[in-house]
Amino acid sequence: MKAIRFFRLHLNVWSIMSIIFTLLIISPTLSIFIQIFEKPNENWYHIQEFLLKNYIQNTLVIVFFTGFFSVMIGVSLAWLVTAYRFPLRNFFKWGLILPLAIPPYIGAYTYHGILNYTGVVQATLRNQFDIKANHAYFDIMNIPGAIFIFTIFLYPYVYIITRAYLEQQSASLVENARLLGSGPVQLFFRVIMPISRTAIVGGVSLVVLEVLNDYGVVSYFGIQVFTTAIFQAWFGMSDVASAIKLAGILMAIVFAILFLEKVLRGRKKYSYSNAKVRPLEPISLSREKTAVLFVYTALIFTIGFVIPFVQLFQWMLLTFEKVASEEFLTLIFNSVYVSLIAASLIMVIALVIGNFTRLSDGAWAKAVSRITVLGYSIPGAVIAIGVLTFFLWIDRQLKGVYHAMGIEAPIILSLSIIMLLFAYVSRFLAIGFNPIDSGFDKIGRSFTEASRLLGIPLTRTFFKVDLPMIRGAVFGGFTLAFIEVMKELPLTLLLQPFNFYTLATKAFQYANDERIYEAALASMLIILISGVSIFIFHKVLEKENR
Amino acid sequence: MYVEINGLTFSYRNAKEKTIQDASIAIEKGEIITILGQSGSGKSTILRLIAGLEMPESGTIKINGQIMTDDATFVSPEKRGVGMVFQDYALFPHMTVAANIKFGLKKMNRYERDARLKEVIDLVGLTGFEKRYPYELSGGQQQRVALARAMAPNPSLIMFDEPFSNLDADLQIKIRDELRDILKKAGITSIFVTHDQEDARAIADRVIMMDHGHIMKTGTPDLILT
Ligand SMILES: Nc1ncnc2c1ncn2[C@@H]1O[C@H](COP(=O)(O)OP(=O)(O)OP(=O)(O)O)[C@@H](O)[C@H]1O
Ligand SMILES: [Mg+2]
Repeated sequence: MKAIRFFRLHLNVWSIMSIIFTLLIISPTLSIFIQIFEKPNENWYHIQEFLLKNYIQNTLVIVFFTGFFSVMIGVSLAWLVTAYRFPLRNFFKWGLILPLAIPPYIGAYTYHGILNYTGVVQATLRNQFDIKANHAYFDIMNIPGAIFIFTIFLYPYVYIITRAYLEQQSASLVENARLLGSGPVQLFFRVIMPISRTAIVGGVSLVVLEVLNDYGVVSYFGIQVFTTAIFQAWFGMSDVASAIKLAGILMAIVFAILFLEKVLRGRKKYSYSNAKVRPLEPISLSREKTAVLFVYTALIFTIGFVIPFVQLFQWMLLTFEKVASEEFLTLIFNSVYVSLIAASLIMVIALVIGNFTRLSDGAWAKAVSRITVLGYSIPGAVIAIGVLTFFLWIDRQLKGVYHAMGIEAPIILSLSIIMLLFAYVSRFLAIGFNPIDSGFDKIGRSFTEASRLLGIPLTRTFFKVDLPMIRGAVFGGFTLAFIEVMKELPLTLLLQPFNFYTLATKAFQYANDERIYEAALASMLIILISGVSIFIFHKVLEKENR
Repeated sequence: MYVEINGLTFSYRNAKEKTIQDASIAIEKGEIITILGQSGSGKSTILRLIAGLEMPESGTIKINGQIMTDDATFVSPEKRGVGMVFQDYALFPHMTVAANIKFGLKKMNRYERDARLKEVIDLVGLTGFEKRYPYELSGGQQQRVALARAMAPNPSLIMFDEPFSNLDADLQIKIRDELRDILKKAGITSIFVTHDQEDARAIADRVIMMDHGHIMKTGTPDLILT
């Protein structure tokens, strides 16, 4: 009897759709997990015996050093900008985030273009100073080079989170340490680093996840890691089974890192905004020290943003007429078109799930919201492989259905853009979900309850009351999702239909064909829209959350 | 009896003890009831159970002879015809006063709706404020809009969760007396939650005392209040 009553209360459009969406989203990941344990083929034994060790080693080396240097740079900058006065401090505070607008794969071929034989550095040395330096000095297409690229374009994750923490939470601790006579270096290593631990761990895990997700940098530099191996297995050898096994191992590494993050972070969650805490007041240093500080900050900013930006700009001017053709307009159109559809789907699904999870406080609602945000941690290549096998399976089932009905297959899903859109949704759902979740959190339930008590059912209430009240969050989430989709590389490369390109995949293709200059226009566009995303995230959403 | 509650038991998901234990209440048509009790004693929870915003573990709720909740039945809040004025009013911030009040009148046509709006807005003395937004009103005015909105669809029962807690003392007394007149004139059965004895004395036909989820006593204010 009570079960009937329970279902009557909990079963509605929202819960049913949420469960369906969640199952769809998780099924590619599950399909990888299931197939990991299938009997391996010839090729896999080869990979396992000769290559796997290398993949693991390279991956770990890159992850470790990128993590280490990102922490050093990110935390030191966060600390300096918060604690000391120096020229252009307010500009740098914001500007030091900008390297994040340059996706690492674009940074990689830009720096390669700057440093190679025909690039501006070696050409200048040759022509102006008549110095013929050894090429090897300028070669960045190796593991240290990849670490450099990842560090310089991803450190802002650490910087942003640590700075927010230091600005708001550290005042009394720092002042006490100063009173007790700590020097600046001691203060940094003995006080700042330990107290910012949770923030640092949060930031560095984002860096590491980005590194594991990357395909562009490592493949351009010819470094063997999991993502490149997945591509080779899939494109080079059409060996789906091995690709799945590789994806499975990579996913296991990701889960290990997420687990490690939880452990290292400790129980305390860092909170961004707390109106009552006193912000840390910056102090002035001696002239020499201020100069050193300024040079260090400006140097990172220059390497991380100014140099690649200026170089790309110059290349863009050089090739503009050649590249900016009708074909390029088609490219932009394609890119905008898929991104719009994907972002709209993401928002609709995020709203459905968000509304469901906030209105029911059972354990299953919690599970649903966990699964919803999980995709963002899983590398694009892994999701792509999962989605691919999932769609191949669906096509096989449908084939039987079509056959039984005696009709031609109207569409082959695994060759269509539907598959790509599906993959975007599973990977970026979190981007749309998080703002909506916090939007709902802020308005609470009482408006919804008031509306229902006035006789308006759940769904109408959603459209008349809830949705208008969180439209800011919907807009923010939509824009962020749109931009993420537009920049996405590995997943798109694996799943894009024949003859279909986005700005990101086209730029990457140009660069791979050694037509770096021609990649500049598409890259610039990507950087500009990423800049918008950063702006929205840090100005608009931050303001709304206050 | 117009409202009959029998053996109502409920606890929140993460609570250790029962939030409401075996509560039984009977209310006559047109009666004004006040639920009195300390903070955390379960007053708001009882209102939420009657409104259908929470589902009890056991017990029955009947309103006007119809079963709202028992072991097999659960009527959803939008179908109960119960009005509620929330502690924080929950006026929709993106709608004008008029739109807020007309929100629940979906079964009427436009003319009926406008007529009803005029009627209730007159009743709560806010004529002329129709076009304002909630944030352009004082606390007392907001409270009256919330009341008008809850009364507009002619609910069989109307409930108030600490309606006076946001008002200063003068306004509290004035609105309290007004409210009693309005409700008595309209003959609406109503439940007030408060922890102020003076409120209870001024407004209630009958008082229900709660403590730790139990109903301790019920009776007329003179009998119960000291
Ligand atoms: N959403 C919730 N989840 C879990 N426990 C809750 C929730 N709401 C209330 N409680 C708990 O249930 C008990 C009764 O709460 P209730 O809000 O009914 O009290 P109240 O009598 O209205 O108090 P007050 O006068 O402070 O409004 C309290 O112990 C409270 O902590
Ligand atoms: Mg209460």
